[in-house]
Amino acid sequence: MSEKITKERVFDAIRKVIDPEVGFNLVEMGLIYDAIIDDDNNVKVVMTLSTRGCPLHQLLMQWVKDAVKEIPGVGEVEVEIVWEPEWNISMAEDHVKKALGGA
Amino acid sequence: MFQVSREFAPPFSLISPYFTAGSIFYMIAMLLLPMLGVDMTTYDITLVAWAHLFLLGFVMMIIFGAMAQLVPVVLEVGHFSVDFYYLIWPLLAVGTVLMGAGFAVFPSILPYGGIMVLVSMLIFLADTALTLRKVERVSLTVKTVAVTNAFLLLGILVGFAMALTIGAGAGIDIQKWLTAHIVLVLGGFVTLTIVGMSMVLLPMFGLSHGFDETPVKRAFKMMSIGVAVYFVGALFNSESLRFLSLLAVFAGTALYLWQIWLIYRTRARKESDIWFRSMAVGYASLAFALILAPIALIGHLESLAIAAVWFLVMGFFIFLINGHLFKIIPFLVWFERYSPLVGKEKVPMLADMVPKKSGEFQFWFTAVGMAVGGAGLLFGSDELFKGGAAFMAVGSIYMFISVKWMMNFGKSQMQEKK
Repeated sequence: MSEKITKERVFDAIRKVIDPEVGFNLVEMGLIYDAIIDDDNNVKVVMTLSTRGCPLHQLLMQWVKDAVKEIPGVGEVEVEIVWEPEWNISMAEDHVKKALGGA
Repeated sequence: MFQVSREFAPPFSLISPYFTAGSIFYMIAMLLLPMLGVDMTTYDITLVAWAHLFLLGFVMMIIFGAMAQLVPVVLEVGHFSVDFYYLIWPLLAVGTVLMGAGFAVFPSILPYGGIMVLVSMLIFLADTALTLRKVERVSLTVKTVAVTNAFLLLGILVGFAMALTIGAGAGIDIQKWLTAHIVLVLGGFVTLTIVGMSMVLLPMFGLSHGFDETPVKRAFKMMSIGVAVYFVGALFNSESLRFLSLLAVFAGTALYLWQIWLIYRTRARKESDIWFRSMAVGYASLAFALILAPIALIGHLESLAIAAVWFLVMGFFIFLINGHLFKIIPFLVWFERYSPLVGKEKVPMLADMVPKKSGEFQFWFTAVGMAVGGAGLLFGSDELFKGGAAFMAVGSIYMFISVKWMMNFGKSQMQEKK
């Protein structure tokens, strides 16, 4: 049986996905809300976007899915977009806030 | 759930001709701008010819191209048929050239240009109307699109009737309908479209959140009612209705500017890139136009009214449009050429795909030219006006260079890989 995948590992995998508009990855932007992992290592990523009208919506979902699928031993991967709570800059990591000028 | 998939996103080859043609028309219009002078009036045929070349060839062309990309983003559904857009730009381009030549030299060809422009816009309106029928979540932007398209339809029908009068002797009172045509198209379509789109684009690019949207909702109502009442005022030849309707439009514009201030205050992204500075100049110009316009209206000062329109069109429209081209074109190029490579190789960021030097030159020449040309109109100085126009002409050449640079980014590497 394969090793149990942790939430941290999923988040680390998603750190490879960069938003080309701002140049930061989705985790440091605070766009990844949760990763739910069941006993069979099936992963459900709960995320949001910085705006509802994001034209990269589907691509970002696909990139997140592809990134998580690269984790050895992972089962099915599902990505869900939610709009509550609405994203705001306070959810981003400090260095992102500083770089964007919002800190 | 909202989805903008690859199949919703129109191919770059469909949208790029709009930006190429738009930037060429922009450059031609700006190179011809010094032909105009401070003594121009609303009925000056050289001004009318130039205005159609600029507004149809540049403003409408870029708005239509941007709408091909933005309709799925703002309406949250795919186009009814994005293939319609293959027809719109050539009809609009040829129709614009014929109309410009018709006004300036050969009145008999004006109706032919008019019918081509009319057909191109009817195709645009048909696609948008059929797309709107699929919308599930009716946001403010969705309402804006519906209302602005109705105004565009009215505006172009009035315009076509006037083209028939000039070119083929149809019996329309041009003096009566010209201002209605201007208010319907510039106010009802262009300005309100920018209002609606800006409510999506400004928070998106500035990462603004949690601001109150009440001002823009009221602004949209007041401006829409103002434009509609102006049309009724023109229909019944009522000076008082037209006066009141313009006051409503001015009040709506003031509320819209307040909304922009709220968005600005809540933005998380504070870098001062070319997009941000273009927005700053554009909205400052709109605010200045808003100071001049009521004085011109109350004092019946036509030269001041023309100066107000200058700051609206040459300041607000140009900087809002050009500023957004520095965001939209890199995104489209990136989406087309680099998004399939994500995860496989290093791809550029969107900021790397903006031409720094030509973008800066474009910005400064256009900003200085707009301010100096506007001062020329305000102080009645032809030298200042033509000097400003010359600066804007140089700025337009840099804009064209910037557009080509952005559209060609990575093209040669992609061809080498193939």
